[in-house]
Amino acid sequence: MTRRHFFGRVSDGIYGVALTHLLTGDLFGVSGLTGGSESPAPGRGGIYDVAPRKPHFEAKAKSVILLFMNGGPSPMDLLDPKPMLDKHHGGTWVSEAMPHIARRVDDIAVIRSMHTTSPAHPAALYKFQGGRMLPGIPTLGAWVVYGLGTENRNLPAFVVLDDPQGLPINGIANWQSGFLPPIYQGTRLRSVGDPLLNLRPEVAEPTALVKMGTRLRQQLDRIHRRDRPGLPELDARIASYELAARLQLEATDALDLSRESPRTLEMYGVGRKPAVVGKTHVNPGPDNYGRRCIMARRLVERGVRYVQVCVNSQIWDSHSHLEADLRSCCDRTDQPVAALLADLKERGLLDSTLVIWAGEFGRHPIAQIMPKQGVAGRDHNPRGFSLWMAGGGVKGGTVYGATDEFGYRAVENPVSIEDLHATILHLLGLHHEELFFERSGLREKITFNFEPRVVREILA
Amino acid sequence: MNLSSLQPTRDRLTRTAGLFLSLGLFFWIAWPGAASAPDEGGELPDREKFFREKVLPVFQEHCLRCHGEQLMMKELDLSNLSSVLKGSESGPVVVPGRVSESKLYQLIESGSMPPDLDGGLPEAQRATIKAWIESGLASGLEESAASQALNQHDVIPILLRHCTTCHGLRRQGNDLDLRSRASMVQGGKSGPALIPGKPDQSLMVEMIRSGKMPPKKRLFEVGVTPVSDSDLEKLRQWILQGAPEEDIRPDVAGTEPDPLVSDRDRRFWAFQPPRQVAPPAVEHGNQVVNPIDAFVLRKLEDRGLSLSAEADRLTLIRRASLDLTGLPPTPPEVRRFLEDREPRAYQRLIDRLLESGRYGERWGRYWLDVAGYSDHEGGKVNANGPGRKHAWRYRDYVIRSLNADKPYDRFLMEQIAGDELVDYETTPVITGEMVDNLIATGFLRMGPDSTGYELSFVEDRFDVIADEIEILGTGIMGMTLQCARCHSHKFDPIPQRDYFRLADLLKGALDEFDWLAGTPISEVVKFEQRVLPYVPPMTNPMRLLEQEKERKARNEVLEEQVKELQQALEERGRDLRDRVLEERLDQIAPALAQDLRLLLKTPEADRNSGQKSLAKEYMQLLTVTANELKERDAVYRREAGKLERKIAWLQHRQEAEPRIRALWDRGAPSPTYLLRRGDYLSPGRLVGPGVPSVLTDGRSPFRVEPPWPGSQKTGRRLALAKWLVDRNHPLTARVMVNRIWKHHFGRGIVETLGNFGKSGARPTHPELLDWLAVEFMNRSWSMKAIHRLMMTSRTYRQSSRVGPEQERLDPENRFLSRWPLKRMDGEALRDSLLRVSGRLDETPYGPPDPVFVRADGLSTAYEGERGWRRSIYLRQLRMNSPTTLDLFDYPTMNPNCTERAQSTVAPQALHLLNDATIRRLAADLARRVEGEAGDSLQAQVERLYWIVLSRPPTAEEQRLSLQSFRSAWKELGNGSRERQRVLAKLAHTLYNSAAFVYID
Repeated sequence: MTRRHFFGRVSDGIYGVALTHLLTGDLFGVSGLTGGSESPAPGRGGIYDVAPRKPHFEAKAKSVILLFMNGGPSPMDLLDPKPMLDKHHGGTWVSEAMPHIARRVDDIAVIRSMHTTSPAHPAALYKFQGGRMLPGIPTLGAWVVYGLGTENRNLPAFVVLDDPQGLPINGIANWQSGFLPPIYQGTRLRSVGDPLLNLRPEVAEPTALVKMGTRLRQQLDRIHRRDRPGLPELDARIASYELAARLQLEATDALDLSRESPRTLEMYGVGRKPAVVGKTHVNPGPDNYGRRCIMARRLVERGVRYVQVCVNSQIWDSHSHLEADLRSCCDRTDQPVAALLADLKERGLLDSTLVIWAGEFGRHPIAQIMPKQGVAGRDHNPRGFSLWMAGGGVKGGTVYGATDEFGYRAVENPVSIEDLHATILHLLGLHHEELFFERSGLREKITFNFEPRVVREILA
Repeated sequence: MNLSSLQPTRDRLTRTAGLFLSLGLFFWIAWPGAASAPDEGGELPDREKFFREKVLPVFQEHCLRCHGEQLMMKELDLSNLSSVLKGSESGPVVVPGRVSESKLYQLIESGSMPPDLDGGLPEAQRATIKAWIESGLASGLEESAASQALNQHDVIPILLRHCTTCHGLRRQGNDLDLRSRASMVQGGKSGPALIPGKPDQSLMVEMIRSGKMPPKKRLFEVGVTPVSDSDLEKLRQWILQGAPEEDIRPDVAGTEPDPLVSDRDRRFWAFQPPRQVAPPAVEHGNQVVNPIDAFVLRKLEDRGLSLSAEADRLTLIRRASLDLTGLPPTPPEVRRFLEDREPRAYQRLIDRLLESGRYGERWGRYWLDVAGYSDHEGGKVNANGPGRKHAWRYRDYVIRSLNADKPYDRFLMEQIAGDELVDYETTPVITGEMVDNLIATGFLRMGPDSTGYELSFVEDRFDVIADEIEILGTGIMGMTLQCARCHSHKFDPIPQRDYFRLADLLKGALDEFDWLAGTPISEVVKFEQRVLPYVPPMTNPMRLLEQEKERKARNEVLEEQVKELQQALEERGRDLRDRVLEERLDQIAPALAQDLRLLLKTPEADRNSGQKSLAKEYMQLLTVTANELKERDAVYRREAGKLERKIAWLQHRQEAEPRIRALWDRGAPSPTYLLRRGDYLSPGRLVGPGVPSVLTDGRSPFRVEPPWPGSQKTGRRLALAKWLVDRNHPLTARVMVNRIWKHHFGRGIVETLGNFGKSGARPTHPELLDWLAVEFMNRSWSMKAIHRLMMTSRTYRQSSRVGPEQERLDPENRFLSRWPLKRMDGEALRDSLLRVSGRLDETPYGPPDPVFVRADGLSTAYEGERGWRRSIYLRQLRMNSPTTLDLFDYPTMNPNCTERAQSTVAPQALHLLNDATIRRLAADLARRVEGEAGDSLQAQVERLYWIVLSRPPTAEEQRLSLQSFRSAWKELGNGSRERQRVLAKLAHTLYNSAAFVYID
């Protein structure tokens, strides 16, 4: 049965059970409806949707939580000790600035040999998020939901939980869909106040008016639809209004932490005051970051495919006051992140959720000293840096690759950004060559025309 | 200048250079031993001898026909060893010692090459090639660079990249010009730069080797990089060989058939001129109003269908008005049409709509999509980049041209070569035509371009040129030319050479080695501005001076007001800021907090050194941003928002100096080399100006002449423009009529508007497309004539209802068995909402209205005294477009948009339902209706439908609306204020109804 015929049939009983169950997806397209939610690639017949799709091959990871640490966290001070401290400690070395994550090393795989193509924040961010140093190209999250759709169509497929203190560098470009259809771009859900722009009227109106508006609109649209058989886009529009109504409930519910147990809240550091003062940025403590980590878990629980948790500006950009700033960044994020891993594991979600902790590049081993101010930090270093992943088919307790003895350059098993992208896609059951979008006669891919290698060594 | 943006470029450069060097080194070390060649004692070096005696015969037999000196298919020439080593357009084809990495051998082994040989290359010959590669090309490779015969074209690209910015056309630092052998030998103040045969005594080599040139301190000022060791070595070798020059003519189209594009290639439907076609005979002759109907009917009849019934007048006027003006018809307009009982009433309606100034605003926007129009420069760092102060003149030019029905051929000529049409440089009087011509050239300045405001390197500039080629290709020619930048097109017969011939066509104005920047970025090299002064036609100089004075005076007044408001904003946030600070201080160590409190109380001038350093150290802690304050306090957010808007509005009203963002030929383009793999570090053969060969007959040379006698301009773009508007051009007319068709009928006859090539869609009605294209040209390229033709056709006037037959036999409406139901696009929706609410400010033209992005992400335009202006007059952003537009698929210009997507998503519903402005518009409409319709509820509801939907409600709609109204009003207590609220809700419900958003 083609989608067109399907629409034709359900349109007879517009508010039937079948409709509410099946017509929940957003539709996107020029015209012509063929194919269904099982179609191997979205976009057949000009229709794009976020219906769940089978991956190219079986895989463990169903969702992704990207904990993006803007600014370039210093590897040698956090994850890549020099010289050879891991030998003394045994196992994976994680800095004492991150005591909570240090206790979860058995869940995580650290890649110490990442390298990227630019030492400038904006360009390196484009590279990390989109695979090339260009604005206007799709981000990883957009590619993933383009490829896999989403399990819960009452919520956006790709959710961004941005920091109430402000947007990261490059702003909304960090979750744009570029040349992919706009339904694949990330949707910001706010952790404070209403989760979504225009989710509710700015000034509430009397129930009588709300009810009247909804009812009359439904009646008028039903007449409009009835008089125009054979036009499935009208069903899609009606469905979009119903989805909007459900979003009001579901988005609010997904982000409502009032039913979380006190133990959970405490574990994530919710309500805890900051323990240290940041020098070049304000440390609000773990409270809000913790809340957003819980929200990320709640979203993944509900079937959201891709969640990106942001920090404001670029707090990890420690050019001066390295120690104070790193401690402040860690104070804010370490406990929530570790709690997220523990919580996901406890709920049996870690196996199907790929958690990624990363910044756009690393920092130089050689200090940047400002003698007059008496402060020290580290400058950007794209040639060698660390990140870690956990869950979703990643082999915990792994350390992969190495930088030279100063931590300047990835020397052993270097991993490029395109390798990372191919690996993440692989964990989700997607092959980077097969996940493409036809555009002006070209097959666009996140890995462009690079020839990446899946880092199989960190796969479980 | 933004230094951070330089980093990626520099990094990329060193990486590429590094890779290059290390590979070279690798081969040196890996295969020196293979030097024991098969045959010693000859005069030729071993590898030459081996190549000539063993390998070349194989190539001669099987390969050189295509990959020889003559044809150089894929830029590969296998006729001699040094050209083999240069590789093809996609890089090296042999890697000495490694058959598995040698593309040449891989293709032989897989049987792909030679293409016409059954069973592939005979085994013995295959073995020869294999042995040759495995032996490291019979070794001796280290000599190859040294003994490779070089000529001036091996070194000119190096000098262009690194030297001629200061020692070239625009500037002869130290009186030195390094653009030709002669000028190098002549040298400058310090003597000759070049002594043939003596590299180590040549000053230029010495200066580069010592690192004195290019001067390190100034590299970033002019966007030049240091010379790599391999390039320096190449320069040395050339000088050592005596600095030989060869008379190599740029590769241009000649009178011989083009070897790279065959006649078979040219036979593809889109590459042949549109044919004169007679409309076919049809059964349903009574349905034929004009030939369009005959073509459409013929296809329908083939499927057992015919045209649907004609739509009623109410439907037609709404459809036609929204199509042509982007606005719904007003009730008086509808009444006038209904009352016109003349047989030509509908034709008159179309004429009237075409005469409306709103037509140019509607259709101008479509053209701006094609041109990639933006009021922002764009950039690698920030997608918006700084504002383009003068772009709006081009936008106005487009709107005016469409309203005046400027013939499309003329429209293109002006935009592509306006500077080469009339001599404006030596004229005594500037005419309106000259001004228009120059404004039109803004077309090729619309792509994202950060090179005007920050330092750029050669490849950044080439990116700008590439974007313009893409815009020309997809927008005007329906060709994906951009694919041929790095290699010959994979689907279409466009060799990479053709791409660079086009680049050379633009070079008189867009020359990556002689680049115009927006601001002078260096004391050393003053880049010229990329704008020209705007001179109102026929204005005398005295009046100009006065105007300038007046402009400045007006701006000063505004500046004063801005300052006052800024102060007020500061005052308004003071208490809140203090509170936030106090809370922060409460969280830190008390002793430190105490010090900081004291610090805050001490005026900056009175602070001691300890306090000063404290202030520096805790700057972040002590800084409270405006956004933080807004997050904290909703009242402050609202008030500050208002003040900020006022400030932005006053700033917006300040008038920029009158300028034209233009493009003009500067008369001295640098030579163009094909770039292998699109890499500017791998120049290939020298090419001259030309157009894609497959679109010509392949025999007539493409002629370029100066635009008028004595002109300094090259005339290259003029030649391009003339070629494009030639009646035999296969694409220009087709692409444009197809675009117009798409906007009227919902789908192009060729569905891929920007790609008529092999990977694009085939036309559903090829004869109709040709007929329309020829008709377009016959009617002097009049776009309005084509609108008229399409809109008066019976096909256009069909009802949009889908019957069971149509659904079964033409499910996707590819054959137009009905009119396609359409959804309003973003600007039609926004403009219509404003219009029906009585809040559309229809003031045309001029600088764009500002757009604000609220802290929660909502983006809106400024509301003036008369409401809001049409969407085309808002600042066109590259990111964060006004939410109403953005949600309804307003395009992103990257670099342009040839076809918009259409989505139906929940955030659209949320926005129309909950956005405060849209609710306010509904209330405005309710007030308007009360004023116009009197007290009767029934009359009010009817009026509402007339205004919003341009029709009366049906009996059913009327009944439901009244019912809803009465019950809600009753629940609210039947008060008079409540009555207006319910009426507003009714209006708001209509705004959200499918009947409003969709067009029948």
